[in-house]
Amino acid sequence: MMELSNSPSAQAMLSNGIVVSLLALGGLAARAVLRNELWRAAFARVLGLRRWSIVVLSLYVAVALLDSVVWVGGSMQSEDQVASFEARSVIDRLFVDTTEKGYSAPMARVEFYDKSPLLHPQRHLLGTNILGQDVLYVTLKGARVALLIGGLTSLITIPLALFFGMTAGYFGRRWDDLVFFVMSTLASMPGILLLIVLIMVLGKSTVSVCVALGVTSWVGFCRLSRGETLKLREMDYVSAARSLGVSHGKILLRHILPNLMHLVIITFVLLFSGLVLAEATLAWLGIGVDGSWGQMIAVAKDELSRDPVVWWNIVPAGAALFGLLLSVNLIGDALRDVLDPRTWGSQD
Amino acid sequence: MLAYLVRRSAYGLFVVLGVIFFLFVLFFTVASPDDIARQAVGPKAMPEVIQQWKVNHGYHLPVWPGAGHLSDNLLVDHVQRMIAMDFGKSDADGVVIWERIRQGMWPSFFLTLPMFVIGMVASILTSLFVAFFRETYLDRWVVALSVLAMSIPTLLYIIFGQFIVGTLLRWFPVSGFDADPAVILRFLTLPVLIGVVSGLGSSVRFFRTVFLEEIHRDYVRTARAKGASEMRVMFYHVLRNSLVPILTQVVMEIPFLFTGSLLLEAGFGIPGLGAATFEAISANDFSTLRAMVFLGSLMFIVGQVLTDIGYTLVDPRIRLDA
Amino acid sequence: MGIINTLHCCRVKGATWLAVIPGEPGAGSGEGPPGGICRPWVSNPRALRKDAHGPLGETWGSSPRATKQVFGFRLARDSFGPVVTSPWARAAKAVAVLLCCSQIGCSNNPYPDAHDQQKVLYLPFATPPKTLDPAISYGTADTVVTNKVFDTLLEYHYVKRPYELVPSMARTIPSAQRLQDGGVRYRFELHPDMWFEGDPCFSLSGQSAGPDGLPRRRVTAADFVFEIQRVADPLLASQVVETFARLRGFSEFRKRLDERRRDPAFARLRVEQQYRAAGEFEGARALDDHTLEITLTEAYPQILYWFAMPVTTPVPWEAAAYYTGENGRPPLTEYTVSTGPYVLTSYDKQARMVLSRNPQWWGLQHEREHLFPDVTGLPEVGDLLASVGKSLPFVDRIEYRREQESIPAFSKFLQGYYDMSGISRESFDKVVREGGLSEEMKQKGMSLSRSVEPGVYYIAFNLEDAVVGSKAGDRSRLLRQAMSLVIDVKEYLRLFANGRGVPAHSPIPPGLFGYDAAYKNPFRTPNLERARALLVEAGYPGGIDPSTKQPLHLTFDVADTTAEGQVRYMFWVNQWRKLGLNVELAATNYNQFYAKMLKGSYQIYTWGWMADYPDPENFMFLLTTKMAHSVSGGPNNANFKNAEFDALFEQMRNRDNDAERARLIKAMLAILERERPWIELFYPEDYALVHGWLKNVRTVGLSTVCTAKYYDLDAAARARARAAWNKPIYWPAWLVLAALVLSIVPAVLTYRRERS
Repeated sequence: MMELSNSPSAQAMLSNGIVVSLLALGGLAARAVLRNELWRAAFARVLGLRRWSIVVLSLYVAVALLDSVVWVGGSMQSEDQVASFEARSVIDRLFVDTTEKGYSAPMARVEFYDKSPLLHPQRHLLGTNILGQDVLYVTLKGARVALLIGGLTSLITIPLALFFGMTAGYFGRRWDDLVFFVMSTLASMPGILLLIVLIMVLGKSTVSVCVALGVTSWVGFCRLSRGETLKLREMDYVSAARSLGVSHGKILLRHILPNLMHLVIITFVLLFSGLVLAEATLAWLGIGVDGSWGQMIAVAKDELSRDPVVWWNIVPAGAALFGLLLSVNLIGDALRDVLDPRTWGSQD
Repeated sequence: MLAYLVRRSAYGLFVVLGVIFFLFVLFFTVASPDDIARQAVGPKAMPEVIQQWKVNHGYHLPVWPGAGHLSDNLLVDHVQRMIAMDFGKSDADGVVIWERIRQGMWPSFFLTLPMFVIGMVASILTSLFVAFFRETYLDRWVVALSVLAMSIPTLLYIIFGQFIVGTLLRWFPVSGFDADPAVILRFLTLPVLIGVVSGLGSSVRFFRTVFLEEIHRDYVRTARAKGASEMRVMFYHVLRNSLVPILTQVVMEIPFLFTGSLLLEAGFGIPGLGAATFEAISANDFSTLRAMVFLGSLMFIVGQVLTDIGYTLVDPRIRLDA
Repeated sequence: MGIINTLHCCRVKGATWLAVIPGEPGAGSGEGPPGGICRPWVSNPRALRKDAHGPLGETWGSSPRATKQVFGFRLARDSFGPVVTSPWARAAKAVAVLLCCSQIGCSNNPYPDAHDQQKVLYLPFATPPKTLDPAISYGTADTVVTNKVFDTLLEYHYVKRPYELVPSMARTIPSAQRLQDGGVRYRFELHPDMWFEGDPCFSLSGQSAGPDGLPRRRVTAADFVFEIQRVADPLLASQVVETFARLRGFSEFRKRLDERRRDPAFARLRVEQQYRAAGEFEGARALDDHTLEITLTEAYPQILYWFAMPVTTPVPWEAAAYYTGENGRPPLTEYTVSTGPYVLTSYDKQARMVLSRNPQWWGLQHEREHLFPDVTGLPEVGDLLASVGKSLPFVDRIEYRREQESIPAFSKFLQGYYDMSGISRESFDKVVREGGLSEEMKQKGMSLSRSVEPGVYYIAFNLEDAVVGSKAGDRSRLLRQAMSLVIDVKEYLRLFANGRGVPAHSPIPPGLFGYDAAYKNPFRTPNLERARALLVEAGYPGGIDPSTKQPLHLTFDVADTTAEGQVRYMFWVNQWRKLGLNVELAATNYNQFYAKMLKGSYQIYTWGWMADYPDPENFMFLLTTKMAHSVSGGPNNANFKNAEFDALFEQMRNRDNDAERARLIKAMLAILERERPWIELFYPEDYALVHGWLKNVRTVGLSTVCTAKYYDLDAAARARARAAWNKPIYWPAWLVLAALVLSIVPAVLTYRRERS
């Protein structure tokens, strides 16, 4: 779809640029939060409730960032002469030249099936997969893919859904009917089907999978924001602003949007886990993103039936996936408990 | 109310038309009639064979309306046939699609109906149980377990379920399906169990929230003060008044009982409609695909109308003449 | 009266499991059932002695504990009066009953128990057949059914290798009769008294009923001609038209039929009437009821192999006229009217196919022709000798079950629910040790059957491409040679196929004339140094393209997007990366792959070819100019166009297997060696695991051969083995249940304490 320049240095610049801008955005958001009393209190509460989940999630984010800082260059390796011309990340370089010939068990000295001595005995913490790649390396690389899927797709989905929901709820009538019609049409098509057909159209690259996932998951939040906007529209200060002659755009940005932010945060977090799960399903159906944990699981599922069992491919991928989803779900729950007024009645 | 329902249904039909059109556009952006023919006939076929197949199946018409063939093209033909529910024959193997639906409907149904009923009952009972024991260790454990359960992809449930129950413990056949009444339970138990367990986490969380919201209301306190038993409070008062959100969830799932669960059917080799749909996608079988999606969206509209009717039955405050 | 109260009012006598309902401890509920029908359960029998009464006159114990509302399970005896049940009690009872029932019915047997002792063969199939119409069917998924129900004039000998044809429906194998005008003629003599299976379609010609009550008729030579006419029919779009175009008059018949069909009156006639009106052609004629004459325009000895394939089975015109897909009848793509040892009795191709013994099979009546072949004197036939001379088939029924995933299919095989199975990569080491069966499998009584299949897998270059193709002349040839030199197939086979496969040095597989086991292609023996030197010679030192100063970028196009496929292709990519070549894997779905092929925008791809029949011509034709994709849309996707090769091919293709033919083939291989349009990978080896109760199994490698009619089965031994291998393990269920109960008990106790 998108024709990015194929040159590795251009890719490297793009990737590093994204990392920098993400960090900058994160910094800006943190500053905005810390300024506001209420937000600061809310997040402090969440931090208190879910300390460990936040630590775990930060670990994932750190690994993903490390894997996104890339540059070209480095020495040639005997097994792979092309790699030194490609943009490789910090993680890639940590594991440079660690390829074996085939399977080997964690911390083993010999290859798994024909028992020939390994090139790097006792150096593989989680063993190697069928192509000889270190399993820890492949698992770490999956973190970036997972966060990319969840993050990028949410970044596409949420503004889109917010825009349509807010405007539909605010302006009402024809526009609302149209948006509602489009939403119903998309919602009534079986999700997986739509996903598969979309990916067939858009191709198999990471961006197209993200776009496809976004198109199939924006309806939920759109409905939510539309409902909330309908309620907010009737608020006193909004009618006051209207009577004062404030333009629609300003009302939307200044009055309605801030009151939806808590929903945005909650939805972002919960959508994230849903998307990563959806990608795992897609990987099993053969159309997932390359290098994701879902793909590792799909490839390795048959290995459970080997004798002796080859467990070190599916277990790290499954555990990493599970760890990410669990921490995100827990944080999302805590956020919802703290931020969503509808759940305040049933507080512990 | 009747006027409202009629309007709702009419609107729903519009949506279905939108779906039909959208599907056509989506499909024919990816594949052309040549591709469909090639998948059907085989890779070794010569071009004239492909052309003949297209003529036989009516795919030789131009795809989009254009000058000179405003009504004589695939789009118009497609819309006409969908409205008449004339699905024709499958592109991949020439089987009449209604036959395929008839055959595949039953395995899907045998899988999704027990899964739905058992899942619903199990999650409601568990949520009530947990709401009853709120703030005790049971509550915390169940909530933790639910979040845990939600974080495991269905994929892993299927893989490990088959491995543990089918291969290690040998309780049930690992996969397959046979409608023979002597053996059908053996094949269905494991997929139904896995379907229920994988959905239990999120359902319990949702229902628990709903029930807890109700339990803190005033009328519950009044009922207890009046001396109603705890059971009565839970089942009669809390459950009944939580029915509106529960109903939305429940009734919306009913249409999808017919279309089948894609993952479970693929993982357990159950020849239902979900599996048929997936095969239609990989085989570029446009006729089957559009029939399935059409039915799916039709069922969805039916579900929405049923939900609205259900609301009036369940909550006398809701009246549908808006 | 609420729902709960109604439930209160039901009794259960003699229950061993009961639950106590939480109820109001005293007066004031006002919602109880009228007068004394229901009583609360009494937890402590001693409490009864104290004289306590409830608001409705029930007898309650005085101790507050006796009237406590609790959740929980307790045992209670029924002797002190009617006991109350609650929904919980009934639920518990239901669960207990279910558990007991499930213990009885808990079984992983996918077949009804009643079929345990029957002589039925159970086999898995992964892909449903596309079509059962013999004129159209051309895939291995179809042959699962078609090779068993359709009988042909000739067939392959079950055991003899290299492959040998023996007569089947024909009395003898005809010899080629050279004609004056360069044509060749074959005359087949049919056996008398061969019948089609009884079927309602024969009512069209007014046949009388056979022994099963359905009308039937004899097979005549005209039925063979009818089938060949169907192959010619443009409406059916048969894929083997090219081959049969060698029959004299075949293409003209096709054109005539097409032209006359433009007349709507003609088009309304029944199919066989149309064929008759279009006129017969010399290529296929029925001289009388029992003689079929085939005339070819040129010598093509391989035509006899086609008469061993289902595409030349006799088809009755009544079936084509009756089974059109209208009037509620299935079309011929989903229905068979056949003459073979088995007939299709149940066909749900998404799930289950059943073939039953054909009691009217002509092979049962010809005592001397269709017995188990005499194999004495042939190598490795010890297990077959017991069946020599016995009447075929042995097995009464063949049941196919759909298995889309290989692991569950193999598990079921190990449990005894399938009689034969391939061996997946994951299970291989459990099954095979050092070339033979592992101990575990030997103890289960299994045997291993293996053979090299007549097929070849290869990586090919698109010779029309600018970088790797012949336009770049020597430079690209050296590049192709270098890329060929670095591919290590042995390693690939070890990782992905457990070593099952024979590394290929030429396109011709073992078992065929022209295969030389001693021939070693110098570019197929891995040599990294020499490859690097060749690259330098080609002008790509170290793999760097001097025009971009980056590693040379090539694309490897594949039509498989699954993750498992990708791992395999990455193996090849990694090998080329050792040379410094940046080969990008472009995986798309089949549509886009084919579009790329049509446009010619592909560089490297991988493919495989299984023999239609065991003759080297069937492989060499894949590299001729006439078959080039850019020329005629044929299967030569490498677009290899070499005039010298073509000339040698013309000389070699119709020759008998003599020394001159061998020389020609050697010369052709030398050209391929140099030009490297293909990197030949391996010939696949087929390993099949067979249970001890299934006998007479041999793998043939050609999917059109019916092997099932030779199999024999000991059903009693199988039933015994299944029972021994499939005892369910119950203790985890009880453990989980106990854990659940235990986890609830503290909550219950806490509740009781709190609410008192």
